[in-house]
Amino acid sequence: MTDGDQADGRTRQRLRAAVERRSLPALAVLSVAVLVVVFYYPVATVLVDAVLVEGRMTLRAFRGILTDPFYFGELARLFAGDSPLAVIDALLSGDRRLGVVGFTAYQATLSTVASVLLGVPLAYLLARYEFPGRETVRSLTILPFVLPSIMVAVGFYATFGANGTLNATLALVGLGPVDLLPSLSAIVVAHAFYNAPLVARITTAAWESVDAGAVETARSLGAGPFRAFRDVVWPQIAPSILMGGALTFVFTFGTFPIVLALGGFELATVEVFVYRLIGDLNYAEGAALALVELAISLGVLYGYLRYEAANTIESGGARPQGRKPLWPPSYSARELLPRVGLAAYAVVAFVLFIAPIASMVYASISGPNGLTLEHYQFLVERQMAGASFQVRPGTAVRNSLVFGGAALAVALPMGVVISVLTTRRYRGRKLVDTVAMAPLAVSGIIVGLGLLRGLVFGIDIGGWRIAVDGALAIVAAHAVVGYPFVVRIVAPELEALDRQLVESARALGAPRARALLDVELPLVWPAVIAGAAFAFALSVGEFTATAVLASGTGQYTMPIAIERFIGRRLGPATAMGVVLLVVTSVSFVLVDRLGGDRVGL
Amino acid sequence: MTALASDPAVTLDAVTRRYGETTAVEDLSLSVADGEFFSLVGPSGCGKTTTLRLIAGFEEPTGGTVIFNGEDVAGVPPEDRNVGVVFQNYALFPHMTVGENVAYGLNFADPPGGASDDQRVAELLELVDLPGTQSRDPRSLSGGQRQRVAMARALAPGPDVLLLDEPMSALDAKLRERLRVQVREIQQELGITTVYVTHDQEEALAVSDRVAVINEGTAEQVAPPRDIYHRPASRFVAEFVGDNNVFDGEVRAVTDDTAIVGIGEERISVGISDREGPAVSVGDRLTFCVRPEVLTVPGRSNRVTATVESAEFLGETTRVHLDWADHDLTVRTRDALDGDVTLGFDPEDVHVVERRN
Repeated sequence: MTDGDQADGRTRQRLRAAVERRSLPALAVLSVAVLVVVFYYPVATVLVDAVLVEGRMTLRAFRGILTDPFYFGELARLFAGDSPLAVIDALLSGDRRLGVVGFTAYQATLSTVASVLLGVPLAYLLARYEFPGRETVRSLTILPFVLPSIMVAVGFYATFGANGTLNATLALVGLGPVDLLPSLSAIVVAHAFYNAPLVARITTAAWESVDAGAVETARSLGAGPFRAFRDVVWPQIAPSILMGGALTFVFTFGTFPIVLALGGFELATVEVFVYRLIGDLNYAEGAALALVELAISLGVLYGYLRYEAANTIESGGARPQGRKPLWPPSYSARELLPRVGLAAYAVVAFVLFIAPIASMVYASISGPNGLTLEHYQFLVERQMAGASFQVRPGTAVRNSLVFGGAALAVALPMGVVISVLTTRRYRGRKLVDTVAMAPLAVSGIIVGLGLLRGLVFGIDIGGWRIAVDGALAIVAAHAVVGYPFVVRIVAPELEALDRQLVESARALGAPRARALLDVELPLVWPAVIAGAAFAFALSVGEFTATAVLASGTGQYTMPIAIERFIGRRLGPATAMGVVLLVVTSVSFVLVDRLGGDRVGL
Repeated sequence: MTALASDPAVTLDAVTRRYGETTAVEDLSLSVADGEFFSLVGPSGCGKTTTLRLIAGFEEPTGGTVIFNGEDVAGVPPEDRNVGVVFQNYALFPHMTVGENVAYGLNFADPPGGASDDQRVAELLELVDLPGTQSRDPRSLSGGQRQRVAMARALAPGPDVLLLDEPMSALDAKLRERLRVQVREIQQELGITTVYVTHDQEEALAVSDRVAVINEGTAEQVAPPRDIYHRPASRFVAEFVGDNNVFDGEVRAVTDDTAIVGIGEERISVGISDREGPAVSVGDRLTFCVRPEVLTVPGRSNRVTATVESAEFLGETTRVHLDWADHDLTVRTRDALDGDVTLGFDPEDVHVVERRN
């Protein structure tokens, strides 16, 4: 080796070391920059839209919404300056008006109650009983996260619609038909389908972390089983039930596809109206309404977080309570009663959770003359021969996969970098955490609207007009939806890693980025893959932001295609739904096999 | 203070580390000579591990400076400090084999002495008495073996300083004793500067050239093991290191080589001939200590009569707890003691810990 070679090698080594040293801060800065461009700037645009009318700052749009009985019902009179007593009187009267916001809160409340009522028994079953398939049922509770809501809506149509399986079953026994769609109860039940597993998931985790020793101590001190439950178990699971409820309220308050599909415009929520106002190009009112919605959601979340901070009970290193067999060991009332209750629950849960999916699959392969593949055939024919204004199924599938892949390519590295940033200890970490997780709380409508107004329509910077292609905006919106889930899955795993592994690597000479690459990522790779699958599935199922950005363009995805079919042709909609189900199920299997246990939601 | 030929390998100069309101290390100064085996010992939470992490560069001091070979290393990241670290839980990379673990540091530094990476790994595993284990999964090893792999991994790139953070505390007592001898032998063979953190004072005394006893973030005493044991510089050191009987009393009379100290009605002769520092005079308050093993049964010039309260049989000796004029007294003896006994000890075996006037 010559001196020149050696010097060359050393320069290269030094260069590599310099790159490795700076790559993590660089990636962090890049992630923040992406976040600003695809989230904070667009959301700011929405705010500006709402307060800047014809070049002047004004709160007119907000005042208009707050004092309009159409939105706030009787409460609007309060904001308009009527006496509170008169308003309360009106609210208590029989023909009170709720307004759109009031109705949204009303259906969210009903949905929350339904979700808790259906979720807590499942948590009881999963936490306290042993039976074959318990683990499977438990991991299935994560499924709603990746099931596209529009597909669930199709499933509800196939079950409860005029020609659905429910009416077919009723007809067999000479009853019916019943007309359940559109109706408030359909919306509430669909929301329960979605959120009861979430409540169950959170509550089960809390129930399993109750220390058996604490219960046994209470029993040995003289408390009966019920008293021990009330004094020891309940205080530890109640905050989790409340958390599940608060999250359900926020999710269902901002609900869009389910209401759009199952409620029609007669039962419109705030989100549906925002969508409609945008369609009418009334951006100021739409933006103001979206912000009012955001304020209410954030208010509920903040209230919950305050409660959680004050009521969290840490029980580390607990030994979980033993599980009981599902088959009663003796036929006493004490053993039988809860099991009979669970059996009744199982029937309801089966109808609610299995029927929509099964009905959708069945509807996709059945016609007036028995089993058929005509609906799938229709999809293929439409792809071949559809007019340019019609939705082409193949294009929708292709768009979904391309957007999913592209969104994943952004969301995954961003999620991993933010996970690293939020698991290290430094001043300002809380702020970074909040800034990075804010997209979880902001509805797709706002993100979509902001991207549309801010980036797709273009910005003027120094005489240059910068406009982003609609497809890119959709990818950006999907990445914003997906990366917080990557963080929620990867960050707990990184947090659980022994900090000294990284310190050992660094003491051995590895720069921070190398330690991440060599030590941390190989050890959490199942979580990284699970996060990737999650981000991909969310992108494939995303409806709200896509609906805003894809309207009137050829960039429709599978959920958008389903929504366009749903009103006219249920068959093709269900066939499309099955395609979507297959894609998301593959993602779900990946999530489940590789680390769905620690999803921090 | 000893004059050193060159700069010390590691110097802490008035180092302080605060976390918000709490102070882990406060105004700590010490220096470790090149090739020295230096131990930091103290109760849990005393700041000894923080001190080690400050040297390694995992933490930066909030005050004072850390100096390596005369150079301030403020802002130098751990990967550039050329230190080897062994943690209590070993922190072996679970997704790598033993060989890959040991070789990891060679990604960033060439093996010393121009050996190839493979040669270096083999050499290190030989050194820690685990030859031929390159392809083993670290999870299949016993605790003691893992600890030695961690040691080999830390030594592979040829660090200037070896930092050991309670490396034995997860192991059982017998293994700990065997391994500490091995660690000391390796350290001597390589002549590597070593900073060893432990809460086990016996371990620190057994292997170190010098020991720093840390309490509440500051060094109470820095000295060779024998001085730490026989000549504790503070009440804390006297009580923390080994069993001890510590008393407070007032000087009643002074001769050339002894002081007569009164504890209530009792009188004890205390040897002061080898004492450094200001002379002892009548009226001073003294804190002094007598090790349990020097209290023997037939009396010497100091005699105390005490009552046996309880005894712990430890095998080679028995630790006996006695009551002497309402003071607790501990004795180590091979004799069976019971009832009232008279014990004796020489004034030279009494060490003055603190003096106040």
